[in-house]
This record gives sequence, C-alpha cells and structure tokens, in this order.
Amino acid sequence: MKTVLDLNQLNDNILKVKALLIELEASASSFPALSRNSKRALASVKMMELNLCDLVTLGLTDHPLSSNP
Amino acid sequence: MLDQEYWNPVLETLPREKLKVLQFKKFKQILTWAYTRSKFHKALYDKAGLTPDDIRSFDDIKKIPKVEKSMMREIQNKDPFPYGDALCVPLEEVSVFRQTSGTTGQPVYQPDTWQDWEWWSECWSFILWAQGYRPSDRVFLPFGYNIFVAFWAGHYAAEKLGCEVVPGGVLDTQSRILKIMELKATAMMATPTYVLNMADVAKSKMGIDPATLSINKITCAGEPGAGIPSTKRRMEEAWGAKVFDHSGATEIGAWSYECRKQPCGMHVNEAMFLVEIEDLETGEIIEEPGRKGKMVITALDRIAQPCIRFDSKDIIEWDSESCSCGRSFRLIRGGVLGRADDITKVKGVLISPAAIEEVVRSIDGLGDEFEVVVDKQGDVDRIKLKVELLPEITQISVENRLKDQLRLKTNLGYQIEYYNYGSLPRYEAKAKRFKDLRKKDTAQKEGRP
Repeated sequence: MKTVLDLNQLNDNILKVKALLIELEASASSFPALSRNSKRALASVKMMELNLCDLVTLGLTDHPLSSNP
Repeated sequence: MLDQEYWNPVLETLPREKLKVLQFKKFKQILTWAYTRSKFHKALYDKAGLTPDDIRSFDDIKKIPKVEKSMMREIQNKDPFPYGDALCVPLEEVSVFRQTSGTTGQPVYQPDTWQDWEWWSECWSFILWAQGYRPSDRVFLPFGYNIFVAFWAGHYAAEKLGCEVVPGGVLDTQSRILKIMELKATAMMATPTYVLNMADVAKSKMGIDPATLSINKITCAGEPGAGIPSTKRRMEEAWGAKVFDHSGATEIGAWSYECRKQPCGMHVNEAMFLVEIEDLETGEIIEEPGRKGKMVITALDRIAQPCIRFDSKDIIEWDSESCSCGRSFRLIRGGVLGRADDITKVKGVLISPAAIEEVVRSIDGLGDEFEVVVDKQGDVDRIKLKVELLPEITQISVENRLKDQLRLKTNLGYQIEYYNYGSLPRYEAKAKRFKDLRKKDTAQKEGRP
C-alpha cells in the first residue's frame, strides 16, 4: 500500500525550519560556529524547497501520493 | 523507505503538463536572477532586445540567446578574477572552484556557492537512488579527486544517501583493485575507459577475475561508453555487475541518468534542467522522437554562474518510448550519442567516433583499445583504424567481420592496422582515441602554427 503524504504539512514544516535557521544565522553573527553552520544548513533546506515547496507554491500537488486536494 | 523506487516520488512522476509549468516558472526565475546580477547575461540579452518580461510562454524560451563555451572562456579575462562577469554572487559566497578538463580548448572555470554544491549532490542523489544505491552499499571511487568535477558530487551524494564511501584517490590501479577486494566494495563510479582498463589490469597483471569481486553496480560518466551497447556489455561481463550510464558536465551539472530498468537510454532530470534539442542545420527545436540534434540546456537552480541555454554540443535524440520505471522524465535514446565537435565528414560521409567504438567492441577477438586517425593522402581523405588482437587470436579470424561491420555501420572503408595486445595507449580518464590530422596538415601547408 502506498503511503499518503500531507504535502502541505511537509511544506509548512520546511518553511518553519528555514525561518528558524535564517533567524539563527542573523542573531548569531558574532558566533561563527552557529552562523556558518546555519548558513550551511540553509543550503540543505533549499534542496528540500526544490524537492517540494515549488510544487506546493504552484498548486501542483494533486498527486496520487498526496492527501491534499 | 529503502524499497522506494524514486528519490523524489512526487517530482519524478509529475504529469508532464505540470512538469512544464514548473520548468517555465524556474526558467523565468533563473533568467531574472542572471539578468539582474550578471553583466555578461544582461549585455547578451540587451543585445538581443530581450528582458525576462518578454518571456511569457514556454515557446518564448527559444528566443533567449544561447551561450557558447567560447563565450565563457572570454569572460574569464574580466573581473572579478578568476571567473569574470557572469558571476552572480559576491566572491566571498563562492565556496568551490572547479574547471573543465580542457578537452576542447582552454579550460573554463566554474564557481559554485555552497548551495550550488548541495544542488550538485542533489542532482547526483536522483541518479544514485534510481540506480539502486542504498545505505548498505560500500562505494569505491577510483578517481583523482582534483580540480575536475568528475565524481566529486557522486561522492557527496553517496554520503547523503547513507552509503559508505571509500575515496580511492591517489592509489594506482592495482592498489585500487586490492582495496576493492579487501573492503568488499559493492559499487564503483568511473569512466568507461577506466572501468575496462581496471578489468584488464586485474586480469592480465594480477591474475584476478574482476567478476569474482563484490562490485555489483558501476556508474559511468565522462564518456559515452556506458550508452554504447557493445562497450556496456564488455564492462558488465568483465565485472559481473550492472553498468549504468549518467551524463553531466562542469558548466551544466549532472543532468541525466539511466535507471535500474536500463531502458537503453537516460532520463533527463526535468525537475532540475530544461533540455532542448536543436536541429544541427536549421536550428529548429526538435520535439518529436527519433531526430538527432544538439542539446541546449538550462540548469534551473544553479546560481553562482548560471547555465542558461548553454550550447553543449552533445548529440542526443528523444525516445518515443516511456520507461517502465514509471518516471515521467523523458528519455533520450541511447544516451549521449556523441559531440557535434567530433562528428566529421570523411570522404563525404558523416562519421561519429561512437559508431566505430560500437563496431570494434562488438568483435570478440579484439581488445578494448583502438585508435582512429583521419588524414589526407594527397587530396583524398584516409581513415586508419588501429586495433589490438587478443592473445592467441589471429588477424584472419576477425578481419572479414570487422571490415563488414565497419562498412555496414559507418559506410566507410578503413585502412586497418593490427597490433599485439597491450600495444596501444591506455587511459585512466577521458580517452583520446579519435585523431583528425587533416586540419593540422592544412595548417602546416599554409605555414600556420
């Protein structure tokens, strides 16, 4: 049986992580270990955006795996 | 998760009309990004009288001027050093330097941000997952780890998938084979030339049959060999492994891959790239399957030095079939069939080095290596083929088959020279087996360097 995914929820979670990392990077500018790791993590988050968020933004997610209408 | 066929189950099966919507949106984004940040791109599009706002439909994309490799070489003389004015980010954002191999001229420098580098390994993740790489794999990488992009992104992608990666950097071929044996590596990535060379060294110098080692899959890049049936068969038989094709380039990214179904072609990763095929003579965009043309490609998400409508010179054609794997990404039939630079006329006949490779490697008594030399005898073209006979094989036993197949597949008669096994040059990376001396001869007669 195929797993059904809530693509909108996944998208929301990715955007939350992104917002947190942006905030962390900015607020830790005098703390290189935190700001540089945040920046690197943001690059990984960008890959998640490419894999899903663009589809959600464009309303292209009425897919068999999606529980969203 | 591990039995999941797709790296991205949504994107890789997206209906084509939706894929097109996504590609168009991303194309506009990267075009606008380049237009507003790169002097090179702005000047190019201004000269054509176009701005990103003029691109209103998918059909408008072909109005955007192509970028040639020679243009990328020229901009490297400009600031900021060493990349030139196609750079779209501040220099301090560049985290990785690579350069092209220089096979076709002066190398082109390629800057990437960390995000670009993540993107490279993301593109490779699509490839490796589709070819069956999983966390249980121990992947051996027998390449030089230097300034060429080669399998660097494959390394990082394999790590991302959870595989164990063994970097076989500066080891010599025999040491690499011993390490594969010692660690029981299950997968490998290399050029077709080196895959065959390693097998040859294992058998002839070490008395090891590579098919008895634990490698069960090999991903190839850098040359068309894994898409040439006879070369693929030789590699698969030598190693007792599945051999998968993939295609990528320093200035472009890793844009296509063969999946586990081995459909005699490669899927274009259309979520990350826009591939157009252009007729070699008319420049018309080819949509229908079965017509060969030159690839024009856009990397939809690469930001430091964008790749927009890049004239790759790769010869490809769309396949009429879809793949049984279920991906909606289109297939290119037979992979990359050659390069527009390499396709040349000999005695008035168009010839591709890949066609000669297919014939030579389909003849059982011949070794893997060969060399083609085109020159002139007086005013007439001459094409010479040098091949190696395997030990205990006589010239007479292969001669007629070779001549007949060459005539049948390439429509040309050759002057064939037979050499003892092991006499022709061996290569560790991209091989140079096709030599056209006619331009050199003409230049010498005219006193040009």
